[in-house]
Amino acid sequence: MRFALYMGYRLATALPVIFGIMVLNFLLIHLAPGDAASVLAGESGAATPEYMDALRHKFGLDQSIGMQFVTYVSNMAHFNLGYSYRNDADVSSLILERLGPTSLLMLTAFGTAVALGIILGLIAATGRNSWRDNIISLISLVAYATPGFWLGLMMIVIFSIGLGWLPTSGFDTVGAGHEGWAEVWDVGRHLVMPAVSLALFYLALYARLMRSSVLEQTGMDYVTTARAKGQTERRIMTGHVLRNALLPIVTIAGVQAGNLIGGSIVVETVFGWPGIGALAFNALQSRDLNLLLAIFFMSACLIVIINLAVDVIYVMLDPRMEI
Amino acid sequence: MNKISRRTALALPLGLAASSSTIFNSLAKADQPVRGGTMVMIVQPEPSTLAHYAVTAGNIPPIATQIYEGLVTYDWDQNPQPNLATSWETAPDGKSIIFKLREGVVFHNGKPFTSADVQFSFMEILKKYHPFAPLLLAELTGVDTPDEKTAVLLLANPAPYLMKALAGRDLPIMCKSVFEGTQILQNPSANKPIGTGPFKFGQWDRGQFVRLDRNEKYWKPGLPYLNHIIARFIPDAATRSAALETGEAHFAGYSAVNYADLARMKTNPMLDTTMKGYEMTPALSVLELNAKHPPLDKKEVRQAIAYAIDRKVILRDVMYGYGKPATGPLSSLFKTVGFYTDDVRKYDVPDRLDIANKLLDGAGLLRGANGMRFGMHLEVNSFGEQWLRQAEYLKQALAIVGIDLTLRSEDTATWLRRVYTDYDYDINEPFLSQGVDPVYGLNKQYLTSQIRKGVTFVNDSFYANPEFDGILNEAMREPDHDKRAVLYKKAQQILAEDCPLVWLIDVQYVSVFNRKLHDHTTGPLGTQQAFERAWLET
Repeated sequence: MRFALYMGYRLATALPVIFGIMVLNFLLIHLAPGDAASVLAGESGAATPEYMDALRHKFGLDQSIGMQFVTYVSNMAHFNLGYSYRNDADVSSLILERLGPTSLLMLTAFGTAVALGIILGLIAATGRNSWRDNIISLISLVAYATPGFWLGLMMIVIFSIGLGWLPTSGFDTVGAGHEGWAEVWDVGRHLVMPAVSLALFYLALYARLMRSSVLEQTGMDYVTTARAKGQTERRIMTGHVLRNALLPIVTIAGVQAGNLIGGSIVVETVFGWPGIGALAFNALQSRDLNLLLAIFFMSACLIVIINLAVDVIYVMLDPRMEI
Repeated sequence: MNKISRRTALALPLGLAASSSTIFNSLAKADQPVRGGTMVMIVQPEPSTLAHYAVTAGNIPPIATQIYEGLVTYDWDQNPQPNLATSWETAPDGKSIIFKLREGVVFHNGKPFTSADVQFSFMEILKKYHPFAPLLLAELTGVDTPDEKTAVLLLANPAPYLMKALAGRDLPIMCKSVFEGTQILQNPSANKPIGTGPFKFGQWDRGQFVRLDRNEKYWKPGLPYLNHIIARFIPDAATRSAALETGEAHFAGYSAVNYADLARMKTNPMLDTTMKGYEMTPALSVLELNAKHPPLDKKEVRQAIAYAIDRKVILRDVMYGYGKPATGPLSSLFKTVGFYTDDVRKYDVPDRLDIANKLLDGAGLLRGANGMRFGMHLEVNSFGEQWLRQAEYLKQALAIVGIDLTLRSEDTATWLRRVYTDYDYDINEPFLSQGVDPVYGLNKQYLTSQIRKGVTFVNDSFYANPEFDGILNEAMREPDHDKRAVLYKKAQQILAEDCPLVWLIDVQYVSVFNRKLHDHTTGPLGTQQAFERAWLET
């Protein structure tokens, strides 16, 4: 009951925040010079003033900023994300189309980074200054310092062009018409390189963080006490140290989750992955305002939810913290 | 008409000889076209829409021309050949063109193709919504349909350039019943096009690909050979090259592959390149000089800038050797049709730097303490890396004659707004497509009437010369080809002297293709015409 109340309270306080973000996004976007009509006409190479006027009228760009804002807010209140004139499609359908591939990529990258990072950090910490620790530390240092797009391109050179093991780009083999497990295998092969390039930086971060966090915890008094009580090392590690050591990981994981859309722009571009990041970038380039605002709105909601989830996970890990 | 036929007869053997050696190689090596297969081509960037009749972005035709066809198509010498129209005749006064239409053509929705579709396409769609319509179809007053298989284009004045623009790329024919009674721009067929072409629209997976399927009822018997064409969208240039190198894609035209990657691609035994198929897509890279900003209002200063630039350096270091130094306002591709001349003031001369310095001294712009005469901003073209390279070279080149350039890079929307709406620029480096007739390239760029605030890629250098306007307007309506050629020669000479723009490079596009793909480039429109004869070795 208390938990439900807390969630309700947090969500209610998030509403004004999200509304504030909406207003800010709207104003910031309108500060940028250039509009969708001129970009569209620019790509066409020619246009008449009448054509441009017709475009602006169609896009609603001939209305005052105030009018446009009222339209925008009233659309949002009706859960209507609007129409992307540039793409000749509903914003919601454009976003929904991309949501699947984006979630797949992000969850894979996120899951890989968190799981492997924790495991590697643990391995490094338990064998402090051993060869395992040195290798893991070295690799994570290199991965930490390597830009994702460069890593992506290098993987294409090695695994696609050189070895021919993995496809260069895309979500699946177009026109292959795979079904069932063949489709899963096909998408999986396409997923490997983008997921790795997106995950590697945070994976390295988690590994380093986990290592130092575990080392810190093992020096604490409660570990000595547990040891004195005759508990096995394994029991000490899983029952006591791990829980406490995970707390900083959760904090950083919250940051990573918030960064995923932004960070995926480059990776999605390099690998031609049909995700939200690439969509957002195109929308910004072409001043596709409805689409851009919808993506911003979605990211804002996502961040609020992630923050909430992080707080809940804290409590689950450390009952001393109160809701 | 007779005149054109004679020219065709003369030019035909030449055209065949000139056609890509790669096509002959592939014919020799592979015996017979094979039916079936899926061709993957790279289109860059992903089109925003497939409404080919309302948006003319260059990335739409490679997909749309598989679906929409035009009344005619063109041979290698750019002479019209039958397509949806089987024959045509221009009235002696040049004010009407009678088209006989092909029997037995059906649209992808099963509706038969008739003159009503031609009338509707021209009058209700193209004339109202096509971005080039105010230029291309300005003289079109109506379309008569005496019977189902005859369409007569009625013109207020002769429009000789119109016969150059009747392919599916420029003026596609749509199905009347699909559009009638609907809002044209909101028509659902915008992104699910219905035409008469060899391929039908299949699926658009946004962010990924468009799939086209073979039209089993295509009016050319036995064609097309391919089962599917897939247009793939890969945003990253390096990845596009990689997709060709791994065989995931078979074809990439235009600038889909960086010039920098071409040398490497050529060493791949699986791949080949061709420069054919761009004869009807002439383009120049230029500098626009804002004559409203002194001292660019002085002819001598503009000429000095033109002299100061070594086009061969741009060609070598920015364009990787593809293209030619531009000599004037028309692409040398117009040589084929007799409109190009290099008998104009020449800026690529050995003593060009001395001339530039003298012109600037003469204009009273003496060097200051730091060796510079004056400073200017250069707006960097936002359409890709190579334009930044070009801008960096220009900064060095102009510094030699004492002009201090500051480079300004902005994203596309900001750049277009600054240059074409706010006119807040000194020098701009756009890339100008010239269309299939001098009317397109010259009229919109240099006529006084084309100084139109807020409109992109028109006369934003404020060139205004009544004598020149008169020549251009006369050339537009002159039915006699040779007289037009004389007028355009004069026009080029005037422009080269007045130097409102600095012409840099006569652009040459390159296609990269997999050697398993044959007969992909079968005419001067290249990727902007249907791949009906293309086939894949199995």
